[in-house]
Amino acid sequence: MGDFFSNLSLGFGVALSLQNLGLAFLGCLVGTLVGVLPGVGPIATIAMLLPITFGLDPVGALIMLAGIYYGAQYGGSTTAILVNIPGEATSVVTALDGHQMARQGRAGVALGIAAIGSFIAGTFATLVIAALGKPLTGLALLFGPTEYFSLMVMGLVFAVVLAHGSILKAVAMILLGILLSTVGTDLETGEERMTFGLPFLADGIDFAVLAMGIFGIAEIMRNLDHTEHRDVVRQAIGRLLPSKEDFRQAAAPIARGTVIGAILGILPGNGAVLGPFAAYTVEKKLAKDPSRFGRGAIEGVAGPESANNAGAQTSFIPLLTLGIPPNAVMALMVGAMTIHGIVPGPQVMTKNPDLFWGMIASMWVGNLMLLIINLPLVGVWVRLLKVPYRLMFPAILMFCCIGIYSINSLPTDVMFIAFFGLVGYALIKLGFEPAPLLLGFVLGKLMEENFRRALIISRGEIMTFVDHPVSAGLLVVALIVLVLALLPTIRKGRDEVFVED
Amino acid sequence: MSEAIPGGPGPARAGPLRSPQGLVAGLTLITLAALALWLTRDLDQGTLRSMGPALLPDWLAIGVGLCGLVLVGMSFTSDGHGLDRWSLRGPVLVILAIVAFAVTIRPFSLGAVSSPGLGLAVAGPLAIIIGGYATPEARLRDLLILAFLLTPFCMILFGDLLNLPIPIFPQKFAELFPATWSQKQILRLTAAFFAGGALLVFLLYPRHHNQSVDAADHSGRI
Repeated sequence: MGDFFSNLSLGFGVALSLQNLGLAFLGCLVGTLVGVLPGVGPIATIAMLLPITFGLDPVGALIMLAGIYYGAQYGGSTTAILVNIPGEATSVVTALDGHQMARQGRAGVALGIAAIGSFIAGTFATLVIAALGKPLTGLALLFGPTEYFSLMVMGLVFAVVLAHGSILKAVAMILLGILLSTVGTDLETGEERMTFGLPFLADGIDFAVLAMGIFGIAEIMRNLDHTEHRDVVRQAIGRLLPSKEDFRQAAAPIARGTVIGAILGILPGNGAVLGPFAAYTVEKKLAKDPSRFGRGAIEGVAGPESANNAGAQTSFIPLLTLGIPPNAVMALMVGAMTIHGIVPGPQVMTKNPDLFWGMIASMWVGNLMLLIINLPLVGVWVRLLKVPYRLMFPAILMFCCIGIYSINSLPTDVMFIAFFGLVGYALIKLGFEPAPLLLGFVLGKLMEENFRRALIISRGEIMTFVDHPVSAGLLVVALIVLVLALLPTIRKGRDEVFVED
Repeated sequence: MSEAIPGGPGPARAGPLRSPQGLVAGLTLITLAALALWLTRDLDQGTLRSMGPALLPDWLAIGVGLCGLVLVGMSFTSDGHGLDRWSLRGPVLVILAIVAFAVTIRPFSLGAVSSPGLGLAVAGPLAIIIGGYATPEARLRDLLILAFLLTPFCMILFGDLLNLPIPIFPQKFAELFPATWSQKQILRLTAAFFAGGALLVFLLYPRHHNQSVDAADHSGRI
């Protein structure tokens, strides 16, 4: 317990320095600013803003990026409530009741309870991360390549199950992602694989290029097909501070949402997406009068929003302790860390304790910032929402170009985002989801490395993955989850969860 | 989220094909798998004990191909989505804009042809204006103002404040100034000049009124 507090105080010492406080503030502000724009989700936001953190020291850069992430997430909720356009999957449920509240002139209360719920959830999640960080890191150090490989297989299976749409297509995307990660020079033999003899492919496909192409650029192309006219809520925003009655109604949902979100967020394979859906379903089931849901029930905003934020934060756990990014946003974080020369994994905590604990403490600081920034600035966000898409996307396009150019100063990188943009657009049109592809791509290199090591250690015995008990356990869990997802009755439930909009 | 892919479950179509989207998706996967197998044809698979460079890519390609086969098979047995409308204007202009940026930001040579390095001062507005026309609702006046405002903003932000190594203007341009001027001074002056251009367009160019707000329909996809 003493450790817990000394670590946290070390972290707060780092996070509360004037510079880092400023960076957290800036990150949250810019993140919200971009995240509020309809059609720009957290992944695109982070990919776009990555270059502005290059000049900073690693601690500052990661604190700012984390701030951008929360900001973008919260900004997405604001858009969901005010315009009924969820910027990303996790705010889909917020839009259901949040927008109805806005139509009844209670937009302020909805935004307020979302911010307060997020803050409470964030505080709890920060404590969870601080408490679990050490033991999980210890566990990670016990993991050999065999266990790591199985853990990643399990993570990818979770990602398949949690992706919406066809399971088969999600599997194909993951395999394709891993396949893409093998492009480039083979580390063991030095032979070039699938490079078409092109020199800039020898180092493999750059992660940032792939991510910005299939998320940033492909999103623009897709959105251009689908622009439609929607009205920003015209009613007054109303009072921001929820009344006593609102608090009484929202308290329990916030608590439940926090716990649900925090637990699901830890799962490798994008569990954070499931949090808000699960929280909403639970609230609806527990409510005395379920028919109020979808018509502006405050519980329907408080629960999912808390779950959303708790999950967003606890999804840092697999990244910080095991070095495995559980979702696309965390994959971008890996990219950012590597640019700053930090290899994510259990050694981060022992080698860079100020970075590790500073980042955790800054999560809480960031949540506080969101509360302070967002409520007074609601008016500004509302005006931002009125920027038409025809002006927004050329700006996004230019930022993407500058961002990707500034990473390596290579014009070919810029052209590649156009190529991957087209690939991403085609995939979307064919009903494939790009997120599993990205996750497979990020985990691919790690998987190949660990797969090889495990086989070398076991002298080519494939059964090593089953002989090691921990590894076998992880694979069994993966198998059970996959089988459950394929069962017709569960499938139906899964579809219902994702069709709720 | 189901509306993310419009087109909807199509009605029972004439003929044996029941999911055109599934068929094309499956064929795409098979093509990709074949391409990967063809590219790694000369590489050694090795054994499990000492894996060759091609072992993993080959097996992954086979996996991708199998998924494709199943998709093709299923497109004849179960109902699925129809093919979506593909637009040409959006993707083509977006790609053109990006390529324009890439070839003008710094000297780029392709074979015998090489482009002059013009820097952000040219590449930025070019990307915005070409890209802007990707939507039929594009208006030159607004795009000009946007280009003249965003470009100096990015110059100051990335070049001046963040010191990123991005070429800002052509070298020839910098030589026009007295040698005593620093790069940053030229940069700031250029930025101010651009902002002035935005103001000029704003004042001189006739405007059209349009009240409606369009926004991207982003049905909860990530």
